[in-house]
Amino acid sequence: MTATATTRRTSLFAWQLKDIMLLVVLGAVFGFLYWALVQGWIALSVATGPFGDLTQHVLLGGWLLVAPIAIAIIRRPFAGILAEIIASVIEVVFLGSAVGPLLLVAAALQGAGSELPFALMRYRRYGWLVYAVSGALGAGLVFFYSAFRSGWYGTDLLLLRLVIQVVSGIVIGGLLAKVIVDGLARTGVVDNFAIGRARLGA
Amino acid sequence: MILNPAQVPDSPLARRNPTVKLAVLFLASVALLFVLDPVTPAVIYLAGFIGAAVGGRIPLRTLLAVQLPFFAFAAGVLTINVLSRPGTALWEEGPVRLTVEGLVVGAALAGRTLAIGILSVGFLLTTDSLALMTSLHQNARLGARPSYALMAGHRLLQQLPGEWAVIRAAQSVRAPLRRAGTVRQGTVRQGTVRRGPGAFGRAGFALLVQSIRRGERMAQSLESRGLGLTPRTVWRPVHVTSVDLAFGAVVLAGLATVIGVAGALGLLRGPGALF
Repeated sequence: MTATATTRRTSLFAWQLKDIMLLVVLGAVFGFLYWALVQGWIALSVATGPFGDLTQHVLLGGWLLVAPIAIAIIRRPFAGILAEIIASVIEVVFLGSAVGPLLLVAAALQGAGSELPFALMRYRRYGWLVYAVSGALGAGLVFFYSAFRSGWYGTDLLLLRLVIQVVSGIVIGGLLAKVIVDGLARTGVVDNFAIGRARLGA
Repeated sequence: MILNPAQVPDSPLARRNPTVKLAVLFLASVALLFVLDPVTPAVIYLAGFIGAAVGGRIPLRTLLAVQLPFFAFAAGVLTINVLSRPGTALWEEGPVRLTVEGLVVGAALAGRTLAIGILSVGFLLTTDSLALMTSLHQNARLGARPSYALMAGHRLLQQLPGEWAVIRAAQSVRAPLRRAGTVRQGTVRQGTVRRGPGAFGRAGFALLVQSIRRGERMAQSLESRGLGLTPRTVWRPVHVTSVDLAFGAVVLAGLATVIGVAGALGLLRGPGALF
């Protein structure tokens, strides 16, 4: 038993299929939930008329959720970036997202932003603050790419968009992620992953 | 929106290698990212529309119906640019101000949305997602474990709506009911299920827990069937043929020609148009 534990500790980059599968599951479930949520959201978007694309920013944090959840459960480098990329592949290839393959670029940037604070803490600290910073950076980093892609530069609303997106990132993409991760840990469903080993002291 | 049809009907576009199609789509999308005039994307949109209709044999009704969200989004992008982009005023009335710059850039961004949209639709409606994963594994050297994990995820995704319905039904059985006197008669029936936004969250969490458990079981069964062992052989190998390469070359050359001609005519504008 001790032997397995040491191999796991040293092979930092050797992914188990179980871990890859978890990323896929997170991508599929959140892709599905987001799709279900968007059904109701379209109504609000239509109701707010031309500002529909502005109101959608409020939900931006939802796209960031998979990265912090994956990092907190698997606790490996690149878990966040890979989780976002896999989620975007599911989005584009299986769910037929309108954005097309450029979503992969946005996803990689979101994942990188969300992962940075956890990486700086060497994947050892999972307090509220780390999650909040993760959400803020996840939203903040991809903003500059989105602003270029959607042509927000040079409009009066640029700063307003940034503020809405970062706040959404902190609340939905950061703090909500911690609530979900803690909930999952309590159910015991992730006990076989790194988070469970840390929690149970194995 | 789930665009992928259950079975992709045969067409010249459907017979092309999925990896080649995806690469072409990606390159075209990236190229369009740097185009900011209204004319070039419009020409590419038209070419893409004809390509999807003729090469993909997609019925016109379907082609227009799946584009409805793109049309709505493009209209929103155009409006917000016309209203919020500073520049030469075209029309001013109180706080409302329309600008020439807003109109031009807005039309360019709307055109780009539609152009990338039609190309994505042409790709998705002529490509089977499992064939794409198989092709990415064999032609793009995507590892066996991520490939098969994604294919298992595809199966999981198909079953999610059913599981969602089961969870919602199970929660409805135990949910509190509306009593007489608490709601106005006539609008909501007595004895119906009370449901708030919290119910959505609870059902979502239950779905997540159940799916994580299933994912772990799937990983174990894939590993017990030898996934991850090398060397691997494949059933029905997928090849990139010379026709596929010619298709990719012709589409990219066409794209370069459109952009080149637009540049020569002085119509082409880059990201500088934003500032």
